[in-house]
Amino acid sequence: MTPRSAVGPVLGALCAGLFLASCGELNRPAPPANPSPRPEATAALTRITLPMGYVPNIQFAPWYVAVDRGYLRQQGIELQFDYKYENDGVALVGAGNLPFAVASGEQILLARAQGLPVVYVLGWFQNYAVAVIAKSQSHITSPADLKGKKIGIPCLCGASYIGLDAMLYSAGLKLGDVHLDTIGYNQVAVLTADRDDAVVGYVNNEPLQLRADGVAVDVLPVADYVQLASNGLVTNETTLRTDPDLVRRMDRAFLQGLSDTLKDPAAAYAISEKYVPGLASEDQSTQMQILQASIRLWTAPRPGWSNPQAWETMQTTLLRMGQLSRPLDLSQAYTNEFIP
Amino acid sequence: MAAQSSRASSSSVSRARAQPGCWLQASTPLIVVALGLILWQLAAVLSRLPAFILPSPEEVAARFVSAVADGSLVGNLLATLEEVLVGLAVGALAAFALGYFLAKSQWVERLIMPYIVASQAVPAVAIAPLLVIWLGPGLLSKFLLCALIVFFPVLVNTMVGMRSVEATLRELMRSLKASRWQTFTRLEIPASSPVLLGGLKIGATLSVIGAVVGEFVGADRGLGFLINLGHEEYDTALVFVGIFTLILLALALYGSVALCERLLLGWKD
Repeated sequence: MTPRSAVGPVLGALCAGLFLASCGELNRPAPPANPSPRPEATAALTRITLPMGYVPNIQFAPWYVAVDRGYLRQQGIELQFDYKYENDGVALVGAGNLPFAVASGEQILLARAQGLPVVYVLGWFQNYAVAVIAKSQSHITSPADLKGKKIGIPCLCGASYIGLDAMLYSAGLKLGDVHLDTIGYNQVAVLTADRDDAVVGYVNNEPLQLRADGVAVDVLPVADYVQLASNGLVTNETTLRTDPDLVRRMDRAFLQGLSDTLKDPAAAYAISEKYVPGLASEDQSTQMQILQASIRLWTAPRPGWSNPQAWETMQTTLLRMGQLSRPLDLSQAYTNEFIP
Repeated sequence: MAAQSSRASSSSVSRARAQPGCWLQASTPLIVVALGLILWQLAAVLSRLPAFILPSPEEVAARFVSAVADGSLVGNLLATLEEVLVGLAVGALAAFALGYFLAKSQWVERLIMPYIVASQAVPAVAIAPLLVIWLGPGLLSKFLLCALIVFFPVLVNTMVGMRSVEATLRELMRSLKASRWQTFTRLEIPASSPVLLGGLKIGATLSVIGAVVGEFVGADRGLGFLINLGHEEYDTALVFVGIFTLILLALALYGSVALCERLLLGWKD
């Protein structure tokens, strides 16, 4: 290839690249707003970066409400959202680099088994969010119907895998009684294309997307069959020991945000539009359904409280699956001390 | 006779002097590894960091033994090896065929090459999720990802190798009325094989990356899956085991191609 003959394609590629880059800049959503501190209040505020474990999403509405309405500020906390992967958040808390993270219950037990001194201090999701989803035409309406079926699952790890095992066990089945198909986070596409008989997802996500696409589905929530410790707020033993008041203030502020969200979802949705890039341009009906489905997972007689039975069942499940080699002292893994 | 005796004694002296140097050369990599392990152990002990942040060599070795004992390491290693070998074979063959064709046809090269070069700017981690969506999370997406990563270095080396065949030798084959097949098998392949095998060495080590990236995105087996599992379960020692096994796999592949190179090109010495 002579230099002269390369000029055309190279220039074309450069122009295409510049065009695409400029489109990317125009379409890039504004970064989520975080309240700017008033200069006179900055010195009194404890700045906390909180790994959320997922991308910006309407499901984090209670947190957005707590920030936007100043509940955290009133507790002397300036919160910065960090949409880091769940495991990384827990590892950073365990290493003492961060005071808090949002994580699911099984992460605490798995982390503690490896020596990470993390402690669950607030139960946000009162019900495990994982569910098995199947097209209505498959007539899969109970866990027993899953025997012999091909089930798509994001990976052979994490909450989906654990939730599926627990559900099957409740029906007298084992993972070996079904055919697992690792599909990544492509549940909607896989089920729509009938590649699998059922998929494992989240009760407040995939079913709503599928129905919005006109696909009739049946949903088997894990929580209908077994109670497992779900998403909540995690801290470490050092923070508990040296600054328990910070934990109390964090819990209190979040519970105020949660209470407001439960009372007025529409207002919570409007606030969330400031923090979730692109939410304003999404299908509001579907997103509001996601929020309503999430609210059903959060609702409890005593918000924030951790159910000891759910922790016992989680540990039993992890031991049975071989993800824990020995039982842990659950009294060190979670606490309700800071729940009003 | 005196001169012969003198030559014989001087060659035996030079052999004796060469032996310690050979041993030193062969053992240097092992010495470096040993020093590295000592430094690592010191760092783990002196820093007092917990095992989930920095496991010691001892802890990693113990995890290695348990992973071998429960079959997880060997099973996942064989899965990755399968993906690597198939991807390497497919990628190398496709690259060799296209590279030969491009080496022979400059106008086709001018047409296609800029796009092949541009495609190298796309990172494998960006392509992997797309391949999983299009081809499913099974082995096909992993084979293709490996093949794509292997393709470019083998392609370029094929083109360079074929064009490096001396014109006088081509003229000689023409004067001997050699057919195209004879020219290909008796001149072009042998003459370009040093460069070809050089590209294959690079491709062999890169193919491991392709397999692992595919496994990170969606897999239920393989060393990438094992590393992901270690990460998910905060088992940092298992992550180290997976990484070191990948390194050994890449070294073994490189060494295999180097051995082939030595066997096939011994006549050059």
